[in-house]
Amino acid sequence: MSAHTETSEPPLITGTQSFHTVSQRISEVTEARIQGTPKLWWVLMVISLLALANLGASIAYLFWEGIGIWGVQNPVGWGWAIVNFVFWVGIGHAGTLISAILFLLRQRWRTSINRFAEAMTIFAVICAGLFPGIHVGRPWVAWWMVPYPNQMGIWPNFRSPLLWDMFAVGTYFTVSLLFWYTGMIPDLATMRDRAKNKIRKISLGVFALGFRGSGKQWQNYEKTYLILAGISTPLVLSVHSVVSFDFAVSLVPGWHTTIFPPYFVAGAIFSGFAMVMTLAIVARTVYKMEDFITLKHLENMNKIILLTGSMVGYAYGCEFFISWYSGNDYERFAFINRATGDYAWAYWTMISCNVIFPQIFWFRKMRRSILVMFVISIIVNIGMWFERFVIIVTTLANDFMPSAWDYFTPTFFDISILVGSFGLFLTLFLLFLRFLPMVAIAEIKGVLPQADPHFYEEKH
Amino acid sequence: MELDSNTYRLSGAEGLGRIAGTIGIIALAVSFIGVFMPSREGDPGHARATAKALHMQAAAEAADVADAAAPVATDDHAAQKGSGHTTGRAPQFFQSYLNAFTFWVTVGLGGLFATIVHHLVRATWSVVMRRMYESLMVTLPILIIFFIPIALWGMQDLYHWTHASEASDPIFLKKEAWLSPKFFCLRAVVYFVIWFILARLLYSASLKQDEAPSEALSLRMRTISAPGLILFAVTTTLAAFDWIMSLNYHWFSTIFGVYIFAGAYLSCTAFCVLVTMYLRSKNILTKEINDEHYHDMGKWLFAFVVFWSYIAFSQFFLIWYANLPEETVFFKVRGGPGWMTASLMLVICHFAIPFLFLLSSLTKRCPKALVIAAVWLLAVHWFDHYWLIAPNFHESLVFSWLDVTCWLGIGGIFFWNFWRKFISAPVVPVRDPQLEASVNFANFWV
Repeated sequence: MSAHTETSEPPLITGTQSFHTVSQRISEVTEARIQGTPKLWWVLMVISLLALANLGASIAYLFWEGIGIWGVQNPVGWGWAIVNFVFWVGIGHAGTLISAILFLLRQRWRTSINRFAEAMTIFAVICAGLFPGIHVGRPWVAWWMVPYPNQMGIWPNFRSPLLWDMFAVGTYFTVSLLFWYTGMIPDLATMRDRAKNKIRKISLGVFALGFRGSGKQWQNYEKTYLILAGISTPLVLSVHSVVSFDFAVSLVPGWHTTIFPPYFVAGAIFSGFAMVMTLAIVARTVYKMEDFITLKHLENMNKIILLTGSMVGYAYGCEFFISWYSGNDYERFAFINRATGDYAWAYWTMISCNVIFPQIFWFRKMRRSILVMFVISIIVNIGMWFERFVIIVTTLANDFMPSAWDYFTPTFFDISILVGSFGLFLTLFLLFLRFLPMVAIAEIKGVLPQADPHFYEEKH
Repeated sequence: MELDSNTYRLSGAEGLGRIAGTIGIIALAVSFIGVFMPSREGDPGHARATAKALHMQAAAEAADVADAAAPVATDDHAAQKGSGHTTGRAPQFFQSYLNAFTFWVTVGLGGLFATIVHHLVRATWSVVMRRMYESLMVTLPILIIFFIPIALWGMQDLYHWTHASEASDPIFLKKEAWLSPKFFCLRAVVYFVIWFILARLLYSASLKQDEAPSEALSLRMRTISAPGLILFAVTTTLAAFDWIMSLNYHWFSTIFGVYIFAGAYLSCTAFCVLVTMYLRSKNILTKEINDEHYHDMGKWLFAFVVFWSYIAFSQFFLIWYANLPEETVFFKVRGGPGWMTASLMLVICHFAIPFLFLLSSLTKRCPKALVIAAVWLLAVHWFDHYWLIAPNFHESLVFSWLDVTCWLGIGGIFFWNFWRKFISAPVVPVRDPQLEASVNFANFWV
């Protein structure tokens, strides 16, 4: 690491930290007994569990009754379930971007946020995977989606982007999980060494894979991490590109446009960063991690939100312009209808949440205000959910056949399953905060001033 | 050629610029002969094109598409030739000229983008490269001179939407407001003015910083860069739509601006690699720009090879899969008998070969290998633009001597100005607070 080359930058970690205090502050969260867990954690956990229970109940009823309990009907055959799917897959992207791309770009500020962003990725992908599974109508045979030589000789349709999705999201989940776990090995070893209780020591020891911190092990570890970062980088682009193919390979105006792949990727990173922001603020407040997740980190994330929000705005503009420029009446209608038709409220919610509100981050003061960034991060999440709603629902509701047009209205179960998916996500996330190192201990040590090989020389 | 190790000023280096400028002027003069070359009306492809156009029309009638917005018969270059329209000038000259023009514009745009991003992300490694980016950036606006011939004489040949006879085209009528010659030229002027202002602001702040180390100036350049990035995105996209996409004015693709951008940054990096390696061969800046920087430039080349391929694939794949006639017209020509080889060559030469070649860190850190990669990528970048432009005019892959002379002509003048700017100031930003860090930086795995 070339820590000494960046001395003119302010320190990434504040407070008087030594290697020990870093290990102590981060590990003690996971070592606390029940009484030591913050009250706020319990409050959030209870709320999340209620939402999760609601998800379980709603899905049970869904399986009993069928997807008729949702608002989907002709012509809107893809309702909230697919909106939620795309929403959750998108959320995951920030984790991979932070852990892989920012790593390759030597952005050392990522060390404070990468661990829980990666965790967020995994939980978001779990939530995303839920929706196509429960949307297939007969979820007990959902495994038919998997291509394997079955006795009936029936294969899934390899030309269908829905099948590509399965591979893309499956690969993404696997690689993200590996990446997350690999990054955690040195920290698990640290926690194992600190463990007082025998069961804890053994179980952490198993997961630490015998990591002892020898030079050779570190060398292998760093190399593995770099290779995984290299493998994950194209995944950041490919997953949401494939998700965008679900729409863009079709003939439907409003869905079929060539900018969809990069536009979806930018939107995914945008929404993912907003979610990281929301969670970071919660985590640093609940566990008082202000020294590790500093205003500098948050400000940098806000800049990325501003950048990706503007990229999304560019894509909206580009689509709108080309729909006019194409001279195709259906294309033109699809976009004018979005902005002025029955769903204009959704369209303008999307535009204001994604493009207009984030512009507040042009001001440094706003980028550094916890309240502002918390509110904006939630607004962006709402906006990005609406983006998928606008794309999916408004397009289907008014397609080629005016006689078939209809207005989509969600039912109670649409809402309860969306709320429930947040319950699943937050439950997993809170468990992660409580039981695993939420900040990468070993990496944080690497950005401390003491990590500089010349640190002690300068003192003389 | 000597480098003053204190001021970082090059002396005795004017020769290279003079040579480039001379080559440029001679090549332009030679190209000028091309203007008077006979028109391609007697082309054997002509009869074939006419037959093809008739065939397309028949297909359109058979399809009986009631709505004019679904233009089945939009193979407009064939229809254009088929209509026997003649302008009295040789299209080959302007076609080669436009190709060279867009090539050098994209190299310059890459420089503008690289400067902007360098400031925005507060990059350390590229401080030693910054003057090259900046010299490219300030050279970009002078290319407006080369736009003038297109505006005055070339539009009729290049952009079929300028013909009055097209006014009866129902698709054209829907976009007439955008595709008007006056508005087209006005937009071009606006792009160049924006590029000029951005380049001027960034460059003057950068030169000022050479006098005294100043964080305030770094901040100022960052402040200009942020809105600059937005302006860059909008102007690059619209310029790509105007100058290249509208060659076939029925065709449209929302990703087209990103496609051109991907090639722009790639070609700029390749250009800077060559300049660096030239300096290295003269034993200049060898300590300041070292293996670590080569490695990073190699990474960017690799990244943008992949990014270009991703964008190109997205465009092709979505159009191919949806198979809508108003969009497939683009790939129908390029995937037809005359152009299929060229299209496959593009995939192999612009993606597969450089991808495999640049994958290893060995090639990225080896100067000779990097030079090969950079020359290769500049060549395929030119070919990429040829592939975008030429199929609008030709039945099949045919190179013309004008392709070479026009490229050398505009390129010579471009390089002359680039070099003039580059040697007029210290070749690295001497008082940049990050300069030392940039010289000493190391890739983390070393």
